[in-house]
Amino acid sequence: MKVSLFATCLVDLFQSSVGKATVELLEKLGCEIDFPESQICCGQPSYNSGFVKESKEAMKRMIDTFADADYVVSPSGSCVYMFHEYPYIFKNDPIWEQRAKALAEKTYELTQFIVDVLKVEDVGARFEGSVTYHTSCHMTRLLGVKKAPMILLNNVKGLSITELPYKEQCCGFGGTFSVKMAQISEQMVDEKVSHIEETKADYLIGADAGCLMNIGGRMERKGKPIKVLHIAEVLNSR
Amino acid sequence: MMESAIQNRDRFLDQIANRLGRERMIAHLERPKWKYRPQEEVLKNATQDELVDVLKEQCKKIHTSICITELKHLPAALNDVVSAYGGDPIITWKDERFSRWGLDSLLKVEWASYEWNPAKEEENIKLAEKANIGITICEITLAESGTVVLFTDKNKGRTVSFLPAAYIALIPKSSLVPRITQAAVKMREIYHTTGQVPSCINFITGPSNSADIELKLVVGVHGPVKAHYIVINDL
Amino acid sequence: MPMKIGSDEFKNRVDKGINDSFMRSAVASAQDGIGQRRQAAADELGNWEEWRSHGEEIRQHVLAHLDYYLEQLSENVAKRGGHVFFAQTKEEATEYIREIVQKKQAKKIVKSKSMVTEEIHLNAVLENEGCKVVETDLGEYILQVDDHEPPSHIIAPALHKNKEQVQEVFTKKLGYTKSSKPEELAWHARKMLREEYLSADIGMTGCNFAVAETGSICLVTNEGNADLVTALPKTLITVMGMERIVPTFEEMEVLVSLLTRSAVGQKLTSYITVFTGPRAVMEVDGPEDFHLVILDNGRSNILGGEFQSILQCIRCAACVNACPVYRHVGGHSYGSIYSGPIGAVLSPLLGGYDDYKELPYASTLCGACTEVCPVKIPLHQLLHKHREVMVEKEGKAPITEKLAMKAFGFGAASPALYKIGSKIAPTAMNPFTVGDKISSGPGPLKAWTEIREFPAPNKERFRDWFKNRAKEEHV
Repeated sequence: MKVSLFATCLVDLFQSSVGKATVELLEKLGCEIDFPESQICCGQPSYNSGFVKESKEAMKRMIDTFADADYVVSPSGSCVYMFHEYPYIFKNDPIWEQRAKALAEKTYELTQFIVDVLKVEDVGARFEGSVTYHTSCHMTRLLGVKKAPMILLNNVKGLSITELPYKEQCCGFGGTFSVKMAQISEQMVDEKVSHIEETKADYLIGADAGCLMNIGGRMERKGKPIKVLHIAEVLNSR
Repeated sequence: MMESAIQNRDRFLDQIANRLGRERMIAHLERPKWKYRPQEEVLKNATQDELVDVLKEQCKKIHTSICITELKHLPAALNDVVSAYGGDPIITWKDERFSRWGLDSLLKVEWASYEWNPAKEEENIKLAEKANIGITICEITLAESGTVVLFTDKNKGRTVSFLPAAYIALIPKSSLVPRITQAAVKMREIYHTTGQVPSCINFITGPSNSADIELKLVVGVHGPVKAHYIVINDL
Repeated sequence: MPMKIGSDEFKNRVDKGINDSFMRSAVASAQDGIGQRRQAAADELGNWEEWRSHGEEIRQHVLAHLDYYLEQLSENVAKRGGHVFFAQTKEEATEYIREIVQKKQAKKIVKSKSMVTEEIHLNAVLENEGCKVVETDLGEYILQVDDHEPPSHIIAPALHKNKEQVQEVFTKKLGYTKSSKPEELAWHARKMLREEYLSADIGMTGCNFAVAETGSICLVTNEGNADLVTALPKTLITVMGMERIVPTFEEMEVLVSLLTRSAVGQKLTSYITVFTGPRAVMEVDGPEDFHLVILDNGRSNILGGEFQSILQCIRCAACVNACPVYRHVGGHSYGSIYSGPIGAVLSPLLGGYDDYKELPYASTLCGACTEVCPVKIPLHQLLHKHREVMVEKEGKAPITEKLAMKAFGFGAASPALYKIGSKIAPTAMNPFTVGDKISSGPGPLKAWTEIREFPAPNKERFRDWFKNRAKEEHV
C-alpha cells in the first residue's frame, strides 16, 4: 500500500524522531512511504489566529502537494483535523472546495490509519514501562479518533497503562494560545501535569507533537522526571 | 402609552425580515415535519403499572415520598401523610373530586381546612400563606421526571401548591404518561378543541430547592419544604 | 456597553481570577459535579445525539422564520389580554418598563432570575425611579444584598462566593444571626423574601421560552421563585430576548428537556411554569395586568450573518461548565454578564470588539463547548470566526502579529523560503540553545519559555533524514 507521509512542520523541525518512527512503523506494516518534498505546514497556526487569507495559500500548497496521493497519513491528530476542515474553509470555492474534499477524504491520523484502513490492531510492539496517555482535543473531539490509539497501546507487550484522570481536558496548548494567553495556558498545563503525576506513570504518551511539547516543556521546567513519547515511537519500539 | 395592545411591531419585524434577506412572512406557516423525534422513544409502550414503578423510582431522586393506594383507602392514606406533616391548617382546591373520593369527613369535619373560593378574593392567598399543607389533584403525571401537572382555573388557585410549608398531590393512576412529551400533546389538544389554554400550567417536580450556596442542595427555598404524592388506583 | 461589568483590563481580570483560590476550587467542583450529572442525564437517554439534532432543527427553523413566530406570539398574547412591546434597543425597553412603573406608582418589584434584564441594566433604571427591586433567585439575592455584585455564572450566579462570605453579607446587611450552614442561610432568605413577594407591586421575569401558538411564557426554576413572582403581584412584566421562542408546546417540551438536562443534569427542574396572559375571569392569583417586552438590542444584526447560530442558544451554560479556560479564570474575567464560551462569542456581538476583543482568543479551540451544546452551536468555530473578522475586516490584529502571520503564510506556501528558514533555524537558535532545549527564547518564544522549555530545532531536519536514507538505500 502506498502512503504519502505528511510529517507536519513541528516534526520536521523539532521532532524528527517521531517522523522516523512513523516511517519505520508503517514500513513494518507493509506500506511504501513517500514524502512529497513540497509539503510545509497545514496552515493551522495562522488560521487559528484569524489570518484566513494568508493561511489559504499554505492550504492550497498542501492540496497540490498531496493531489496524487492514495493515502495521506500523519502522526498528528490536530494537523489531520486541519486537513479535514479544508472543505469548510474553502466552502463555495468553485475550484478548491472539491479538491479540499478529496484531500480530506484520504487523509488519516496514524493510529486511525493502522486500525481502520490497515485493519491491524497489534503492531507487534514491545515497550517496558508504565505509561499514561493524553487524548488530544482536536484528535478525539474534532477528528473523532478515540478508540484507535487505545486499541494499539493495549496490544503493546510490556506496557502498563494507567488512565489519565480528566483525560478529555485540554492541556492548554492551543497553538498561539500558549503564548498569547500564557497566564491562562500556564494554569491549564499545570493542572494537566498534576493529573499526569497522579497516575505515577514513567511515561506520558500522546499523538500530537504540539500538546507533547507543551506538557513536556512544562514538566521539564518543573523538574518532573516523567518522560514524553509520541505514540509512533512506542508502537515502533521492539 | 398602553392604549394599543401591541406596540412597535412592524419596524421591529421588518428589521428581522430585512436581515434574513426577504420580505416579511405573511402566509400561514405549517408546523414542520421534524426529522428527529427522539422524545417519543422514552418509555414507549410502557404499561400503566410500569409507569407507576418508574415514578416511584424517580421520587427517590427528587426528595419526594410516594404511596399507592386503592380509592377506598385514600382517606386513611391521606390522614397518615397529613399527620406526618404536622396536621392542619390545610388548604385545597375547590374540586368535587375530593368529595367523590370520600374525603369530606377529613376535609370538612376533622381538619381545619379551607377550600379555595374565588368569591373571597385576596383572602384565599392569605389563607394559603398560613396553611401548613396544600392539597391539589393532578391532571397529568409524568413518570420519567416525577412531575405533577396542574391546571389553574378560578377554583384552582396557583398558590395552593406554592405557599404552604408542605404539598400533597393526589394522582389518579390513569393520569400517568411517560413524559412531558405527552403532556405537551395534550395541552395542544386542549388548545385546539377549546381555543384556550389555562392561564397557568404548573409542572411541579418535588419540593422547592436550591444549590446556590456552594452547590450544596437545600430543599425548601421559596415553596414547599416537603412534598408527597398519593397515587390512586382508580381504574 | 449593555452587559459590560467592571472596568479592569482583560489581563488584570484574569490575574484576579487566577489568584482567587476559593473561586477556582468552587468552579472546578461545579464543573466536575454538574458536568458528570449532565453526562449521566444525556447518556441515560441512549440517543442524545438525536436529541441534539432535534434541538438544533427546532432552533434553526425558528430563527429562519423569526418574524412569523414573533407576530403570532404577539397576536396571541394580545388575544389573552396581555400587552406586547417590541423594543429594538435597551433604552426603548427600559423606558417602556419605567412608564409602567410610574403609572402603577409601584414601590416594590420582585424579580425572578433573568439574564436579559441584566443585559439592559434594568435594576439600575428602576432603582433610579425610587423602586426597591428584589431579586428572588437565591444566588441573585445574595449578590444583590452584597452591593449588587455581578453574577459569575449563567445558572449559578453566586458560584464564586463561599458560605462564610454569604453569612458575613447576611449578618451585615440583613441582621442575620445564625451559622454559615447553607440550610440556615437559605431559610433566612426565604423568610425575608416571603414578605417581599406578598407586598410587591410588580413582578418581573425573563423568559426561557415563549410559545407562539398560544402566547404562553415558560419559566424554568428549581426554587419556585418564578411561580411566586408570577402568581402574587398584580402586575407582571416579562422581558424576553427576541430569539427565545418556539412554535408550539411540543417544541417547548423538547427544549425544556434539553435545557434541564444540560444545565443541571435533571430530567426536569422542580418548577416549570407555563402561563398565558393575565389571570382569567374570577381567578384570584396571577397578575391582573401582563406586559411582554420583546428585546432586540443587537440580536437582529446577528441574524442572516455568519454568527446566526449563536442565537440558537438556550442559556443552559453546559459550555461554561465544560470550558477549561473558564475553569481557571472564572466568570468575572470575561467582563460581561455572559461568561464562558457562549459569553466569548456573544459579548463581542452585542457589545462590540473594542470591549471584548480578547475573549475570542481566550480559547484553545479545544471544542469541549461544541461537544456539549444541546442545540449544536459550533461554538469553537464561531470563536475562530471572530478572530477572522477581527483580523481581516476590523484590522484589529497587532502589527507584529500581522507581520509574523503574513511571513508565516508566505513561508508556509513557499517551499523555497521554508527551506532557507528551516535550514538556518538551528544556527539562528544557537545562542539560546543549551543542550537540546531553549530555556529563554527571543520574540514570540519568550512567552513560551517563561513557562516551559522549548525544544531546540533538529540538527538534521526530518525531511533531510528521509532523503538521505532513500539515497543510502539506493546505493
